[in-house]
Amino acid sequence: MTGMSLRAASRRRPGLRFAALVAPGVLFIVIGLMLPLLAIVVFSFWRTQSYELYPDWSFDNYRTLFGEAAYRTFFLRSLVTAVLVTAICLVCGWPVAYFIARHGGRYRLLLVLLLAAPFFTGVILRIAALQGLLGPVGLINMGLNVVGLPPIEALMYTKLAAGLGLVYLFIPFMVTAIYLSLVNFNFELLEVAKINGARPWRAFIEITWPLNWIGTAIGMVLVFIPCLANAVTPRFLGGPEATSLGMSLSGQFGETGTWALGSAMGVFLFTVSLLAIFCLAPTIRLKRSGFTGASL
Amino acid sequence: MAGATLELESVTRRFGPVTAVDRTDLVIEQGEFFALLGPSGSGKTTLLRIIAGLERPDEGRVLIAGREVTDLPPYGRNVGMVFQNFLLFPHKTVAENIVFPLRMQKAPRAHRDEQLKWALSLLRLDGLGERYPNELSGGQQQRVALARGLIARPSLLLLDEPLANLDRELRSEMEVEIRRYQKQLGIPFIYVTHNQEEALTMSDRIAVMRNGRFEQIGAKTEIYTNPASAFVATFVGHANRITGGIAAIEGGYARIDWGGGSILAPHPAAARCGSGVSYFVKHEDMEIHGAGLNGKRQDGTNQLAGTLRDIIFKGQTANYIVALPTGEDIVVSGTPRAAVARPNDAVIVSWPIDAGACFPREDA
Repeated sequence: MTGMSLRAASRRRPGLRFAALVAPGVLFIVIGLMLPLLAIVVFSFWRTQSYELYPDWSFDNYRTLFGEAAYRTFFLRSLVTAVLVTAICLVCGWPVAYFIARHGGRYRLLLVLLLAAPFFTGVILRIAALQGLLGPVGLINMGLNVVGLPPIEALMYTKLAAGLGLVYLFIPFMVTAIYLSLVNFNFELLEVAKINGARPWRAFIEITWPLNWIGTAIGMVLVFIPCLANAVTPRFLGGPEATSLGMSLSGQFGETGTWALGSAMGVFLFTVSLLAIFCLAPTIRLKRSGFTGASL
Repeated sequence: MAGATLELESVTRRFGPVTAVDRTDLVIEQGEFFALLGPSGSGKTTLLRIIAGLERPDEGRVLIAGREVTDLPPYGRNVGMVFQNFLLFPHKTVAENIVFPLRMQKAPRAHRDEQLKWALSLLRLDGLGERYPNELSGGQQQRVALARGLIARPSLLLLDEPLANLDRELRSEMEVEIRRYQKQLGIPFIYVTHNQEEALTMSDRIAVMRNGRFEQIGAKTEIYTNPASAFVATFVGHANRITGGIAAIEGGYARIDWGGGSILAPHPAAARCGSGVSYFVKHEDMEIHGAGLNGKRQDGTNQLAGTLRDIIFKGQTANYIVALPTGEDIVVSGTPRAAVARPNDAVIVSWPIDAGACFPREDA
């Protein structure tokens, strides 16, 4: 269809224009996301043998996943890690975002861009750099060695090191999400609250927090979901005690070649992520967030 | 206890090289409607923010109801404030917005509900309690802001150009209402505005502010009829400005030579013979006559001859624009029915020699 005829057609039927605008995006999502996801769901009910997939429909993979203590441990570890990392990012990210939005002044844009600086290199490189900081021959422990102190064992290939790595990787997302919310927040409302008798903390709880809750919730989701499925960080920093479900999952698709079990793990993680979002959703009430517009 | 609700003692606030508020003293009495009138940048909003506790003065003291609050944060002052852009909490309903100050004071629920009912009916907001601010009109939002400012019965209500965002009709309606609330409640209001009509309509006393200082404080009629400076004379009311030099002092009057004519004006205190002066006469103090009056000098009036250039009809009044031989225009305000001449007619403008005010010329 030529441009002219499309325009003519769309004038006659606005539905067609809508379809033309939306189709590329929808097609990309269907082919790039929905189909693979569907494939994973299908595979999770199949069977792998000698690196081959066999369409023998059963619940065996899920039985293995929920039955074996190791997987349960991996999952709980992933879940607890994701919750803790999200909480730490939240507590550390809020003041940073608040400071930039409130006091950044003309350096605001620069400070936000600095948040993106780590993204100039790949994840693996950043994790490797962190290894160079925390590991046995890393900066911290070598430094301690030089001044004659024993190394900090808790930093060498432990769950703590893996958790620190995750916080480091994901805190920019949290800060950015909160910052973007705060730049649209009218700080004058805090003055109003104070004149009307609210102490600073009360003003934060009554005004700042609820009006920036959506941004905060988005930040939490952006941190929680990738953390839950993360495989790289525990592999490089975590040592034997830090195996996560995501790590095990990538193993199924890699070394062990058990695609079907890996698919079941993927479906399970996806479901848990969805659950997390559904838990957050009811707290987001557009009117209560001031989303429908400040009176300005 | 002294009757003063608010006392400012030599309050000063600087922003870098700019002195926004310069050694200002002010006493506001119980039950007074006080207007701070000034052009933008004159420091009136800064002064209001100092009273509210949102700015800290560099020097001086602030006392509210006899208690020094200079170093108290805003939440310790029991002051209400209404802003130009309403600043309602968008995530709270009208009722939640209004009771916010009482909740912060931990007032018992029964008291809160009672006060809410009172405020809703006082400001004619009945039935809107469950709405959100963005579901209200501008006038309703401003009334909610007023209710929030008043519900805790503050010892002082500060209003920072609260009507500037409303359209003209609503504004004049609210002017009357706000004055009614103030008289009804007896809480002193300090009203910041750059709009002289608002200040004149609503307030009891006016302070005209300029460059961080008060040019004049007084009853509004006093400010209007007896401006203390050239600035006040131009800023309050509509006046013609005539600049000239004093030729002679005759009794209590100064004879001003001006553009070939000579005018008698009340003698300015600080001016001597020969000094340059600016002389202001309000539009409505002048009268316009047909040219037939020419030559018949009336005692006690000044007269200038000119040509009527245009009549601007304003409804209740009309502005007659008279071109003088010197090329300057003089505006005379009168009733439209008094039209004695048509454009291009020769006319005489006259006014009593006691009208108007004369100030030494400001060298600028």
